[in-house]
Amino acid sequence: MAATNLASAMDVDEAAIDEGLYSRQLYVLGHEAMKRMAASNVLIVGLKGLGVEIAKNVILAGVKSVTVYDPEPVEIADLSTQFFLRQEDVGKSRAEAAAPRLAELNAYVPVRNLGGQPGQEITVELIKGFQAVVLCGASLSKQVEINDWTHANGVHFIAAETRGLFGSVFNDFGPKFTCVDPTGEQPLTGMIVSVDKDSEGLVTCLDETRHGLEDGDFVTFTEVQGMTELNGCEPRKISVKGPYTFNIGDTSNLGDYIRGGIFTQVKMPKIIEFKSLRQSLKEPEFFVTDFAKFDRPATLHAGFQALAEFKAQQQRNPRPRNAEDAAQVVSLAKKIDPEADEKVLAELSYQATGDVSPIVAVIGGFVAQEVLKACSAKFHPMVQNMYFDSLESLPSALPTEADCQPIGSRYDGQIAVFGRSFQEKIGNHRQFLVGSGAIGCEMLKNWSMMGLASGPKGKIHVTDLDTIEKSNLNRQFLFRSKDLGQFKAVVAAAAVAAMNPDLVGKIDSKQDPVGPETENVYDQDFFDGIDGVTNALDNVKARLYMDQRCVFYLKPLLESGTLGTKGNTQVIIPHLTESYSSSQDPPEKETPSCTVKNFPNAIQHTIEWSRSEFDNLFVKPLQAVNAYLTEPNYLESNLKYSGQQKEQVEQIVSFLVSDKPLTFEECIIWARLQFEEKYNNSIRQLLFSLPKDAVASNGQPFWSGPKRAPEPLTFDSNDSTHLAYIIAAANLHAFNYGLRGETNPAVFKKVADSVLVPEFTPRSGVKVQINENEPVQNDASAASDGDDWTDLAKKLPSPSSMPGYRLNPVEFEKDDDSNHHIDFITAASNLRAMNYNITIADRHTTKQIAGKIIPAIATTTSLVTGLVCLELYKVIDGKNTLEEYKNGFVNLALPFFGFSEPIAAKKSKYGETDWTLWDRFEFKNDPTLREFVDFFRNQHKLDVSMVSQGVSMLWSSFVGKKKSEERLPMKFSKLVEHVSKKPVPSHTKHLIVEIMASDEEGEDVEVPFIVVRI
Amino acid sequence: MTVTPTAMRRLMREIAELQTNPPEGIRVVAGEDNMLDVTGIIQGPEGTPYAGGYFRVKFNFTEEFPAAPPKCRFLSKIFHPNVSSAGEICVNTLKKDWNSSYGIGHILVTVKCLLIYPNPESALDEEAGKLLLEDYESYCARARLITSVHCTPKTRPPEFDTPSAESQPVASGSGSTLTTTSAAASSATAPVPNLVASSSTKSLPGTTPSFTHPLKSSASNTLTTSSSSMSDKSTTKERLTSPSPLGPADSNVAAANPVDPAANLGKAAKRGAGNVPAGMEKRKKALKRL
Repeated sequence: MAATNLASAMDVDEAAIDEGLYSRQLYVLGHEAMKRMAASNVLIVGLKGLGVEIAKNVILAGVKSVTVYDPEPVEIADLSTQFFLRQEDVGKSRAEAAAPRLAELNAYVPVRNLGGQPGQEITVELIKGFQAVVLCGASLSKQVEINDWTHANGVHFIAAETRGLFGSVFNDFGPKFTCVDPTGEQPLTGMIVSVDKDSEGLVTCLDETRHGLEDGDFVTFTEVQGMTELNGCEPRKISVKGPYTFNIGDTSNLGDYIRGGIFTQVKMPKIIEFKSLRQSLKEPEFFVTDFAKFDRPATLHAGFQALAEFKAQQQRNPRPRNAEDAAQVVSLAKKIDPEADEKVLAELSYQATGDVSPIVAVIGGFVAQEVLKACSAKFHPMVQNMYFDSLESLPSALPTEADCQPIGSRYDGQIAVFGRSFQEKIGNHRQFLVGSGAIGCEMLKNWSMMGLASGPKGKIHVTDLDTIEKSNLNRQFLFRSKDLGQFKAVVAAAAVAAMNPDLVGKIDSKQDPVGPETENVYDQDFFDGIDGVTNALDNVKARLYMDQRCVFYLKPLLESGTLGTKGNTQVIIPHLTESYSSSQDPPEKETPSCTVKNFPNAIQHTIEWSRSEFDNLFVKPLQAVNAYLTEPNYLESNLKYSGQQKEQVEQIVSFLVSDKPLTFEECIIWARLQFEEKYNNSIRQLLFSLPKDAVASNGQPFWSGPKRAPEPLTFDSNDSTHLAYIIAAANLHAFNYGLRGETNPAVFKKVADSVLVPEFTPRSGVKVQINENEPVQNDASAASDGDDWTDLAKKLPSPSSMPGYRLNPVEFEKDDDSNHHIDFITAASNLRAMNYNITIADRHTTKQIAGKIIPAIATTTSLVTGLVCLELYKVIDGKNTLEEYKNGFVNLALPFFGFSEPIAAKKSKYGETDWTLWDRFEFKNDPTLREFVDFFRNQHKLDVSMVSQGVSMLWSSFVGKKKSEERLPMKFSKLVEHVSKKPVPSHTKHLIVEIMASDEEGEDVEVPFIVVRI
Repeated sequence: MTVTPTAMRRLMREIAELQTNPPEGIRVVAGEDNMLDVTGIIQGPEGTPYAGGYFRVKFNFTEEFPAAPPKCRFLSKIFHPNVSSAGEICVNTLKKDWNSSYGIGHILVTVKCLLIYPNPESALDEEAGKLLLEDYESYCARARLITSVHCTPKTRPPEFDTPSAESQPVASGSGSTLTTTSAAASSATAPVPNLVASSSTKSLPGTTPSFTHPLKSSASNTLTTSSSSMSDKSTTKERLTSPSPLGPADSNVAAANPVDPAANLGKAAKRGAGNVPAGMEKRKKALKRL
């Protein structure tokens, strides 16, 4: 989008979006929404923990400007959650102290302090000129006053506050707010096979593919044959008739449907009518966050008003766990709502001065997303009153009033809720944080505010192998531009130790990734030294691994993840819940290879093709050449079993000898010939084999339905995609050979146009898979191409004649815009899309799909991390029933919150013994296999039929007498080395062994895994 | 390459079962030092141009197995429309129709069925597809030639010294009592279920078969166990991803009952072996008519 030469002509508000910085977030919000955000000025009033959390997320997301207002002096208790205030700021104005730190978050977002004097509340005059106003912890009367004005003047208004483990949010985006994309999901699309000509036109999808539409959605069509009026028609409202069929209304006056067609969903704007705060106080519209607490919003709606009333009357908040104040709050609330739950009201009063980081993170992340919705019209706003609580996080042994009194420490906000003794527990807790990316940064921030590990016994271990990259800065808020290239875990640890100096020396940063290779680092001693593990990972493999380790070492595991506006959290508690791997989401289904190779019908297919084309041209052949040059007897030993010897040798000959370029010009020629081969010749070859009029075995045209007949492309250097391909391919080829690149299009044009392209003649069918040097005959020698690669190999120079010579395979890097990688993949994919008449995709879209980029935004991360920490309180408390824990699922776009009890660990049985995944047998002193087998027979009446360790099959009952006699006397350590043919590493103190066994009746039984200490 | 302990446990069981009671024409080799190093050997089915050959299929398991399918490819050279020159196999079972209850045996039986019922409509090797559509005899000759040159050893692979589950009574001892895989073994010895190859004209939604065609009849084999009426889309179609012959390669070999692939393993193998001669005749006639 960087239209540099047009910049002067553009509106100053519409500055170019820095795609390098906003890359991951752009995949959540899109360019349109971000442009609207870039025109919005946001005011945030109240800069305690909640205000700064909202400001942080909004600034990271990128709006035109953020202005803060909070002239009140910093108090020590503010440090419970306000991560941008320090001890030395006490006494300064909050806004003044925090604004410069907020400003560092994003160079594109100016942060202003509105100033003001202590004791001076915000006024209507001050809020003029802002598109969105957020009040954090303002008095209710002030909220109403401000909202009266914003409601009448088209300014988006949000009021939010947190009280201990409670939070409340109110949205008023005006009487008529237009939301352009209520779900944020990609528009649905699919192929159709029939449209009835009827007053109720029924559309049927191809191949029983679910259309996924809902009643009231709108669709339009393309490529319909016969009933052509549907192509590009005004969006038609549908009603769902079945998973594969839907109704589009009257089609009786349209043409007769013949075949084909694609439906595409059209997103229609939605008008939302917000009520003012004044009206909402009387007629609230609740947004439910937890269906298990469905009557709580009403209670809290009264409760929060009662707190406001209490404050107005007494000029102070109710005291922590003070029964007298609580009674007053309850009675005030009962006047508003006689049905309100007294116990909950009393807790609300007890915690009125409470301020805890996890709740602030949850509400702050949520509100920030609402601000972005107000500014961008993207995603559905929350309508209209939200109340949230996590009372379950309170310790089982409730603190006393005395225990909750402020002690003049930075933790006073948390002490007011949990008490001093629990604060000590938090301080002495020891956690292992796996990953220091987006979730990791937020987690460390929350932990530092909570004072986790601040006590004498406390410790935080954090590991991340990554270094900081530009695209991280948009949400991994502990990192700044100056930190680029540094290790994440190191920078993050230092940043949060600066936020809370109690953590200095308490955080141990590592770069060793978790995995089987680092079990000498993360060993028994290491796990003995921690109380639990928190995952902050970005991949399933490491999650599965950590899950396995936590099961083995019996450690609680807190797991979470985000995908755009969606997030989830899971608690895993030893001997109680199932583990992470017990129930896994099915991964995305892959596309069949024939679709990718010959029959693409969607841009995803051409991108997948071009991504592997990238490897096949610029990575694999070069690796093969290097392997040939460095590995002794590479051709003989490595290629023997590949089934592809000849092709591979041919390739090495081509890249190392026959087609090796000496100049950049030769690279351009090579690229031009690649174009011809891939986008003309092979398409013509395919059409030769399967002509456009080919008939399938059912008598239907072969090229129909999902199979789109391709067209060869004729090279035209004036076509920007054609030329882009040549430029990218030639440069990458040049890189492979260490030749200097070139970017001047004129050079490429000139050379490419002068290339003499050999005439193409299709190969005839019988020659396929046959050595092309042999005459075409149906005899054995013609088909036998397995042996003759040795002749070919004679063309290769011997590796010893080229000492030190290597080619440069490309290492795919999606985030470097100058390396031609994504340029090539985009051009190659689009050329192929042009072959198949598929709508092409821009670079940005191609990059996401090819780079498998997971969309991400700071708001979701903040919220999810808050939810995790609410569970961490429970872990620290040692809660041991399922009902006390919650797994969470959120989608900020809709918005949606869902919570469920964790699933219990599945019980299995052998003999009379119940067991779960948390149980195991244990052997000490490295037993022999015979002792091992005898133990099960004698002690458990189990007949062992197979024993395995890792991927090795140590023994089975059908292994043969000789092997059995050899192995049964072996000690386990010896046996493992014997079978795996690898030494057991010296740091290995135990082996995890699995067996298959049957009981006395010969019934197969499942038994726990076995730990053999060696 | 690693898999989760649960997946490992499951693979171990299945490999043991497949080695002690292998399905007809299928054997599995796994490394003792690395059980994830799995190779399947498929005996070219009689009555196909692959007869006499032994085809090796290599498995690659990822940590996401069994949620994600293993990656499989032919190590042996084969002339087949649904197998690329690099050995990739185009079968929906290994892609979009993967079900986490499937195992090694199910995949190998599916691939074996693909040898019997190649599907030119989802060709990876478009020249083999073309030949199959246009000139069945040449296709057979070509496939037979490649088979004889590349995949026909002088002596039978030693793995086939172990008799198939079918040809021996169900052992009452060690492995056959395993919960999931034992179903395969026992059902293989059970009478062949009533396969409705004859009911191939049972109308499929969206297509109007005008003649009996082997590809079509094989597709309808997938319907054998579904007793519900085809008009009931919501129930039947759910599991039938692609009843049309235009569908992907394994529309003709999709599990009759995806919920219990193991049970199907035996049946499918039986069907594959049993139905061939008649099917071949029909196919030849049908293809000539094209």
